[in-house]
Amino acid sequence: MNQREKRGIKSNGLMFVLNNKAMLILLILIVIAGVATKGLFLSYGNLSSVSRQIAVSVLIGLGFTVVLASAGVDLSVGHMLSLLGVIYAIFTLHVPMPIAIIGVVAVGMLCGLLNGSISEYLHLPPFIVTLATAQIFKGFAYLLTNGKSINGLSASVKYLGQGLVGGVIPISIVIALAVCLVLCVVMYRTKYGRHVIATGGNAEAALVSGISTQKIKVSAYVVMGICAALGAIVLTGRVSMAAPGAGDGMEMDAIAAVVIGGTPMSGGKVKVGGTVFGCLVIGVMNNLLNLLNVSSFWQWVAKGCIIIFAILIDVQSEKLINKRRGAQ
Amino acid sequence: MCFPGVKALDQVKLDVKSGEILGLIGENGAGKSTLMNILLGSLQPTAGTMHFQGKEYAPKSPLDALKHGISMIHQEIRLVPTMTVAENVWLGRESLFTKRGILDVKKRSQETKALLDRLEIPIDPDTPVNTLTIATMQLVEVARAVSYNASVIIMDEPTSALTNVEVEKLYRIVRDLAKKGTGIIYISHKLEELFELCDRITVFRDGKYIGTDLTANFTTDRLVAMMVGRDVTEMYPEKNAVIGKTVFECRDLCREGHFKDVSFSVREGEVLGFCGLMGSQRTEIMQSIFGLDPLDKGELYLRGEKIVNASPKQAIENHFALVTEDRLRRGSVQMLSVRCNMSLAYLKQICKMGFVDQKMENKDCGQMADNMRIKAASPAQPVSSLSGGNQQKVIIGKWLLTNPDVLILDEPTRGIDVGAKAEIYKLIAQLTKQRKAILMVSSELPELMGMSDRIMVVREGNIVGEVQREEFSQEYLMGLAFGVNGKEQ
Repeated sequence: MNQREKRGIKSNGLMFVLNNKAMLILLILIVIAGVATKGLFLSYGNLSSVSRQIAVSVLIGLGFTVVLASAGVDLSVGHMLSLLGVIYAIFTLHVPMPIAIIGVVAVGMLCGLLNGSISEYLHLPPFIVTLATAQIFKGFAYLLTNGKSINGLSASVKYLGQGLVGGVIPISIVIALAVCLVLCVVMYRTKYGRHVIATGGNAEAALVSGISTQKIKVSAYVVMGICAALGAIVLTGRVSMAAPGAGDGMEMDAIAAVVIGGTPMSGGKVKVGGTVFGCLVIGVMNNLLNLLNVSSFWQWVAKGCIIIFAILIDVQSEKLINKRRGAQ
Repeated sequence: MCFPGVKALDQVKLDVKSGEILGLIGENGAGKSTLMNILLGSLQPTAGTMHFQGKEYAPKSPLDALKHGISMIHQEIRLVPTMTVAENVWLGRESLFTKRGILDVKKRSQETKALLDRLEIPIDPDTPVNTLTIATMQLVEVARAVSYNASVIIMDEPTSALTNVEVEKLYRIVRDLAKKGTGIIYISHKLEELFELCDRITVFRDGKYIGTDLTANFTTDRLVAMMVGRDVTEMYPEKNAVIGKTVFECRDLCREGHFKDVSFSVREGEVLGFCGLMGSQRTEIMQSIFGLDPLDKGELYLRGEKIVNASPKQAIENHFALVTEDRLRRGSVQMLSVRCNMSLAYLKQICKMGFVDQKMENKDCGQMADNMRIKAASPAQPVSSLSGGNQQKVIIGKWLLTNPDVLILDEPTRGIDVGAKAEIYKLIAQLTKQRKAILMVSSELPELMGMSDRIMVVREGNIVGEVQREEFSQEYLMGLAFGVNGKEQ
């Protein structure tokens, strides 16, 4: 077996690139950014502001990764993020911080539970369900704020978005990386992770194998909700306010990041680390376009093109990988 | 046609004359599909040539192959479920019935009706395909292939979903086509079928051409020896397990619209076979026992104690295991690794605080893979890259890891080659020695008779007979299954 095992595990250069394309794209982007901005991109000030912005999308992307791995989809995350930000801000104005944090995480779980239960127990397609709940979340975010943003937040709220650990590393990055680490362990090392991946890969086979697939699928949305709540905490802190439209369009960034990271839309495979790199790719790209003074209108166009390009690469490289495998 | 020296397949050749039925047989992975893909233009050969009706033939795509007059009936159904029979048959060729841009639906239906009548397939051309049974869909596929008026039709295991009556119908269609001058390449794993139908048989093994001969010159032993490369003298292992106490018993199981009053029991070390026609609800009974489908009435007893299997999860906790009939849909998570698939059902047993003990997992799965002689380059390989026989072994291995008391095997050897079949039979025999109780559903009578200690015959959701090993005969069992002899209970 040993000889054969080695052959199976050994991956040549091309396979490595295909399996880690997000990292590669990121490297290329950084080099381009460094050169095109004459080093401005690589300054500490810029890098730390980029990383703070990215922290939120990493948190959202990580939750999204779990949902995609379970073969679900959640288009409501953007508005969920806005709503949770608003709720969190209101909480902090009335109750102590720890309770506010626990409260907003609980509400996030509820939002996920709503998405998951409607699509799983009522057997409706999650694509439509979450499109609809997105409107509901949006509506509540505006209802709660009357369409205005909430300002005057406490220092501790701001600290979670802007503070530094050891005077160097933004705390938001620490939070995002911690969640990434936890999810890595959960997805790769635990029974729950296996169940999510198996359910996403083939729900019927998973059911026959004794997995409560409905519960697993719902739970993935709940994980998404928790991640969105943490994202809301970081985002609200970073911009020192909660606006009802703060999370608009975040779902698109999340999808793009996750797919660039190598988690397929069809489920059954998960790349937690890949998602982080996917977020970095999107974040660095946004930053680069900003530094180059490209108008935000063009940035949207660019982002759309990149998503298509990323999915194209994903599909093509999957084909290549399968071909290689067939050849072995 | 011939293909001397197709490199990927390594020096393969094949020829079929008009009006001839050529059988093609080989274990899974022997290169049959690759060759058929080349023939249809889905794959391009790296070397070698093909000749069709005297001319060089190099199809660029399946469409190209069709234009030349080569069509294929695939093993899996390839119909659009929501469309009608007529729409499916003429899919992509609507222009045949189009005048000035308007599709003459009526004419298309009439044409389809004529075609179906000619083939004696009694269905309405306007029925949506998803309301038909799998077997009827397969016949629609046949009708479609015939409708191309192809000079060569390739059939890949066309009977795998058919009942005996429909198989006869298919044989007649095939013979008719050959009589009219169509060349048929008939791929099958069922030896009886090849003997019954084919003029000549070609054998492939490991991507190589082994030989071709007139059917009359073949014996079963010779054919199997050529396929496997060794003599498979005894297909079914000897029965020498000691049959013990009753392990599982069910009483009066009912599921509205599917089956009723199903009662039977199975003992330690016993193989209880289930025989019945397609649609006799054998599979449904097993699925309800395993908690996949609900039961309306009835009781399950495990070693005398009443149990409830409300979900597969609960069934597994009660030490049941189900190898489903549909490998792709319900058996395995194709893109996951061999190891992850094998450990899926028993994961709980190797978890500490929710964490998978990966050392244990590697050890158990490696051992099981070795015991079952699973041929995989690595346990990290995705299941999709294995041959059908090896996939099935992975699925059975998955269930053995749960250490079940009652093992339900639903069509355990469907679509896998002779060598792998023999290994699975050997495995079943081993399991009976470990005092496991086995319920085995199969459409292949020789297999059921070879492996079972008793056979329950199911017809239209009722158990219509229990036959002891001494009384096994194909005629008797089929008679019961069809409900033609009076020996019913």
